[in-house]
Amino acid sequence: MERLQARFLQANTQVLGVSVDSVYCHANWGRDLGGISFPLLADFHPKGEVAGRYGLYLPDAGITDRATVIIDAAGVVRHASSVTPSGERDIEALAALCEGVNREHGQALQPVQKIPGVSNEAVLYVKSSCGFSRAALLARDNLHLQQQITVKNVTEDPSAMAQLKQLIGKEQAPCLVLDGKPILESAIIIQQLVSRAAPL
Amino acid sequence: MIEAGTKAPQFELSDHLGRKVNLKQFAGRRHVMLLFYPLDFTPT
Repeated sequence: MERLQARFLQANTQVLGVSVDSVYCHANWGRDLGGISFPLLADFHPKGEVAGRYGLYLPDAGITDRATVIIDAAGVVRHASSVTPSGERDIEALAALCEGVNREHGQALQPVQKIPGVSNEAVLYVKSSCGFSRAALLARDNLHLQQQITVKNVTEDPSAMAQLKQLIGKEQAPCLVLDGKPILESAIIIQQLVSRAAPL
Repeated sequence: MIEAGTKAPQFELSDHLGRKVNLKQFAGRRHVMLLFYPLDFTPT
């Protein structure tokens, strides 16, 4: 899937994963896969509701069918198929289908915007045993930004703490330094990273 | 299973980064491919 991402981008197609797990499970899954380049949506509350609307929820098993739905930019379903929960999708064939939809329908669409990205000098200051720091670190992993963002742990590294205090005048972490400017609050840090690395 | 040619049902769900994602935001901009997964930790 990851290596075909460029083809979907070319075909003006946004890939979205959907399952009945919670957002929390998804965040960890994304990290375990080494970051994923498409959003994973949690069809969790009420469980399987969206899959149900697409006729893909299997209530006896409490899971979603392993199925694929392609929707064109006009909001019309162009393809729907299932390989059953234990089957395997043919991503190559699906990419070809998306390219077909785009050939028929793609002319009027704006080309995919350029992603601003994150400069290599970014630094993320974190504290040990801090949920907010963990959330910021998870976003860094999920967005494939390990190379661009250096992590400094102010709990373990006194010189990092000194740098942080010099920057913002207090001992608050997480703190992301992006383009030379410090950003505080994990929610704002994550929002900034998302808007630069994975805009929808 | 939903059939080709029908209007896609709307949805709004949270993604793994905590963003709200809905179908409407792609209207007229992008095609969308939904990959339904039985469970996490089961790629493809």
